[in-house]
Amino acid sequence: MPMQPYLIVALILFCIGLFGALTKRNTIIVLICIELMLNAVNLNLIAFSKYGANANISGQVFSLFTITVAAAEVAVGMAILIALYRNKRNVNIDKMNTLKD
Amino acid sequence: MIYLAWLIPVVPFVSFLCLLWMRKAARSLASWFAVAASAITFGLTLAVFFASFQQGTFTQEWSWLTIGSIDITFGVLLNPLNSLMLLLVSFISFLIHVYSMGYMKGDSRISVYYGYLGLFTSAMLGLVLSPNLLQFYMFWELVGLGSFLLIGFYFYKNSAKQAAKKAFIMTRIGDVGLLIGLILLFWQTNSLRFTDIYTSITAGQVEAGMVTLIAILIFIGAIGKSGQFPLHTWLPDAMEGPTPVSALIHAATMVAAGVYLVAVMYPLYMASAIALTVVACVGAFTAIYAATIGLVQNDIKQVLAYSTISQLGYMMLAMGVLGYTAGVFHLFTHAFFKALLFLAAGSVIHALHTQNIKEMGGLNKKLKVTSFSFLVGALAISGFPLLSGFFSKEEILAAVWADGQYVLFFVALGAAFLTSLYMFRLYFLVFRGEPKKSLDHIQEAPIGMKATMVVLAIFALGIGYVNTPWFGTFLGDWLTEGASFLTGGHHSSPVWIMLAATIVSLGGIALAYYIYEGKKVDQGNWKQSFSGTYRMLSRNYYIDEFYELTFVKGTRGLGMAFHYIEMYVVSGMMDMIQGFFFSIGKTGSKTQNGQTQTYGAVAFLGLVLFMAFYIWKGGY
Amino acid sequence: MGLLSFLVFSPLIGFIVFCFIPKKEQTFIRNSAVVLHALPLLASGLVLFQFLDHASLAEKINWITFEIGEKVLGLHFELDVDGFSLVLILLTTLIGFLAVITSTWHINKDNRLFYQLMFLLQMGILGVFAADNLFLFFIFFEITLVPMFFLISKWGGTDREEAAFRYVIYNGLGSMILLIGIAAIFVLAGSTNYAEVQHYFAENGNPTLQLGLAFAFLLAFGIKLPIFPFHSWMVKVHVHAPPAVVMIHAGVLLKIGAYGLIKFGVGFFPDAFDSLAILIAVLGLFNLLYGAYLAFVQEDLRSVFAYSSISHMGIVLLGVSALNTAGIQGAIFQSVSHGLIAAMLFFLVGSLLARTNTTLLKKLSGLARLTPLLAGFFLAAALANLGLPGMSGFVSEFTVFLGIFKEMPILAAIGTLGIIMTVVYMLRAILNMTYGTYKSTYGEVQDLKASEVVPAVVLLICIIGIGVYPNAIGHMLQLTIETILGIGG
Repeated sequence: MPMQPYLIVALILFCIGLFGALTKRNTIIVLICIELMLNAVNLNLIAFSKYGANANISGQVFSLFTITVAAAEVAVGMAILIALYRNKRNVNIDKMNTLKD
Repeated sequence: MIYLAWLIPVVPFVSFLCLLWMRKAARSLASWFAVAASAITFGLTLAVFFASFQQGTFTQEWSWLTIGSIDITFGVLLNPLNSLMLLLVSFISFLIHVYSMGYMKGDSRISVYYGYLGLFTSAMLGLVLSPNLLQFYMFWELVGLGSFLLIGFYFYKNSAKQAAKKAFIMTRIGDVGLLIGLILLFWQTNSLRFTDIYTSITAGQVEAGMVTLIAILIFIGAIGKSGQFPLHTWLPDAMEGPTPVSALIHAATMVAAGVYLVAVMYPLYMASAIALTVVACVGAFTAIYAATIGLVQNDIKQVLAYSTISQLGYMMLAMGVLGYTAGVFHLFTHAFFKALLFLAAGSVIHALHTQNIKEMGGLNKKLKVTSFSFLVGALAISGFPLLSGFFSKEEILAAVWADGQYVLFFVALGAAFLTSLYMFRLYFLVFRGEPKKSLDHIQEAPIGMKATMVVLAIFALGIGYVNTPWFGTFLGDWLTEGASFLTGGHHSSPVWIMLAATIVSLGGIALAYYIYEGKKVDQGNWKQSFSGTYRMLSRNYYIDEFYELTFVKGTRGLGMAFHYIEMYVVSGMMDMIQGFFFSIGKTGSKTQNGQTQTYGAVAFLGLVLFMAFYIWKGGY
Repeated sequence: MGLLSFLVFSPLIGFIVFCFIPKKEQTFIRNSAVVLHALPLLASGLVLFQFLDHASLAEKINWITFEIGEKVLGLHFELDVDGFSLVLILLTTLIGFLAVITSTWHINKDNRLFYQLMFLLQMGILGVFAADNLFLFFIFFEITLVPMFFLISKWGGTDREEAAFRYVIYNGLGSMILLIGIAAIFVLAGSTNYAEVQHYFAENGNPTLQLGLAFAFLLAFGIKLPIFPFHSWMVKVHVHAPPAVVMIHAGVLLKIGAYGLIKFGVGFFPDAFDSLAILIAVLGLFNLLYGAYLAFVQEDLRSVFAYSSISHMGIVLLGVSALNTAGIQGAIFQSVSHGLIAAMLFFLVGSLLARTNTTLLKKLSGLARLTPLLAGFFLAAALANLGLPGMSGFVSEFTVFLGIFKEMPILAAIGTLGIIMTVVYMLRAILNMTYGTYKSTYGEVQDLKASEVVPAVVLLICIIGIGVYPNAIGHMLQLTIETILGIGG
């Protein structure tokens, strides 16, 4: 089945992304890792829309949406990050727990 | 008229409420108001008394408390014994009200005083009218309340506070005995009505052991109220109250209620020889015990207080040897002459502002009426021939002899001897001899006080003739007629008992004259050679110290022990429970560290676990 | 809407009205709090008249039904009253009203919120007594916990937060056990309606199960009552909560424990309670004496009253353990009587605190000189508390001992020691404070004002009224007690 390699690649991508998102202290890396996970999802969506049991175009439409939203998310995220950096001179994620106190 | 009997306790109670309500406004009128109320009460009592004299026993009852199928009532009962008591109480109460007008004049809390007096009178009359044991018990406690309030009337004195507290607690101990007896009796006879109790006791429906137990428990109540050994220690302290109160409550009426209780429950005692013996022994012991203490007291009221205890012991002794009439008769005569003695003592205190007999002397020149009244009272209580105390004491001695209690007979004779000794010691030290202080400013009491003393003196002289071996035993006959359970009736007393009683009484007076008036004995020397005995007697055989060491300390100790349990064991447990919940909370809050990545990791782990479970179960 | 629903939710009217009153209108808030609290009082009066008229007051609104297999289970909104709960409802509205009057003099912080919480509390308590099924009972029971927590923790004395926490932890624990018990009953009987549950357990007796449930109820309500050793939360609350709140707490809230024990415990599981009787009697005896001895050594007037409450709740337990008419009736009388007396004592404590700022016994002496009225009422309340005949305390103690002496005479005889101890500790505390020489450490204090006399007089009249003619409530209770003990019903 040609679908399996796609899924394996997506899985690997997702795992790398997850690992990075949970362990890296630099917020930019974390953001990149989140992008990686989103891309893994995109890959899955496209693979299923082509080779899935009920193949149709909507999977690709979804992935387009995801890419758009991801772009917006990165834009907003980077903006917040820069604002934070101006305040704290630091983008490390473990320092950003001021909401807790 | 007899249907208004329930009004008798209500009138003084209303007076109590009114006087307390208008404490300040009514100060000037308070005494007149209270005297009027007690006069009305006395008038009502007289009317009811004569009505019941003609009609015989009368009962009226209302439902009070329903418990399932049990119906407890309250109401009024009139029979010879309690109409006699009714008359006695309301008459003496009326006299005390009049006397207090002079004695308490100018006191800023006079309306409170009269209010409490009204409360007491009301409770005492209610007690006497009770047709069942529960109502009796309720008023019994309320009488104690009246006594407590009046002992503590001078509330700012620490000694008065202690005395009031002691009186309440000591009598409460006795009351609990009565309460237990009452409840046990209820479950035996299924009723608390006196008439029902008499019927089932005389019919032998209650087993003998139970009768003895109940009789003794009820007697414990009488011990507490009548100041019998070993619960007597509150009565001397109760002299902290105003003197008219001592006369009314702690001499004439309330303390006699214990004897009255035994009289009311007499069928119970007649059914149990053991209980009778207990009553007789406690009475005889108290009589002689208190008389010895009375010999060495230097406070005029203390002497009278111990004398009261001793005389109450006498009445108990009479009750314990089947001398029902003798006991009630002595209760009756004692009420008059002891009230008289207290009022005379009150008159002395009113004039001199001291109670210490060492500071008195030669008062008969100045306080003629008082001195005369006191002499009459002292002669009566000593059993001087032809005065009231003579007849009642002689009858008690005859009853003891007739019952075959020869040891108790001699104890009673000894107590009679001591009685006349300490009474005349008091008389000689206070009214005769040389004055210790200048008597120039001393004035005889106002007319109201004098009048009451004279009235009581007349009664103390003559009241004995209602029941004499020579002119007829009206009282005895009447009481026996009302109490069908009494058998035998009057004891025919040998003449020699009367002679012995006279000799003993005159002997005591002569000895007192010899020591205190004739000054034939060096008292200082005497005190030194018997210093141990003297100290023991003047400290009341150390009984207060003994109670302090055992019961008071014991109670405190147990309290402290519980306090430590509370502090360490219970609050330790409390802290453990609290700590448990707090530690759960603490652990939980540690996971909330604010690190998004930790949260993410946990969420992912959770997902993995769910997946694993899902796979392990193989789908749904 | 029926009369009972109106009664239960009438405090809610006050709660809503208060949301719209500006916080700053202090006097207006105080006055309207008193007026609005009169509403439940009036409603309970109406309920009383209806009840005496033998009119049916029961209400039922279907709420939740669901099916499990063949069984249709329902949780409904059911209200009803019997003699017992009606007496407690009257007690609640009366004491609640007087407590609010008292608070208008002593509460000076965040008035609006205070009265709103009082309204909620009132609603909870009324619901507890008016509910006719266990589920509703539980909901209202929980409702009382929340306002009490805030009332203690915000307006209390020095140690108020600790007291509030202990209150919530212990009562939460009790609720948990109660909920488990109720759930078990619901599953077994298929209903939580009192009558149906009683009927079910009368017919289907699994002794072990019943014993377990009875024990759970004993534990849950024992914490509320409280029974030794679960009592220390209650002492804290008595000492540190504001006196006006303690009036309700000691006066009414503790009585939920007695109510539950008698109505559910004895009512549903008579056989199980019969086998637990000795245990309950011993616990009651221990409570009675333990509380009495501890009250004797306390240094603070409020702790004396707190331990006195424990001691008096021991008498309730003794009455319950007798399991005969006299015992149960005595326990009910004791609940009502102690409610009135405790409310009066803490009303007076509030007045005392406002004057001297302390309740430490060694700092108080000779108050009768300057404040004869206050001292007089204290003495009257103390006498009521120690069971003086002619006051309600005597009737209840006598009835309880009448019941217990029939079943366990030896234990009862030991218990009478408590009667003596009550006198000892009450007189010690009260006479220390009012008699003796006056100490001027707290300056010249004023006696009670005429308006302040009113609550004390009202409570005293109730206390003496019951004491002089106990059948006034005794008659109302006869049928209820027969139902609970399963006689003739």
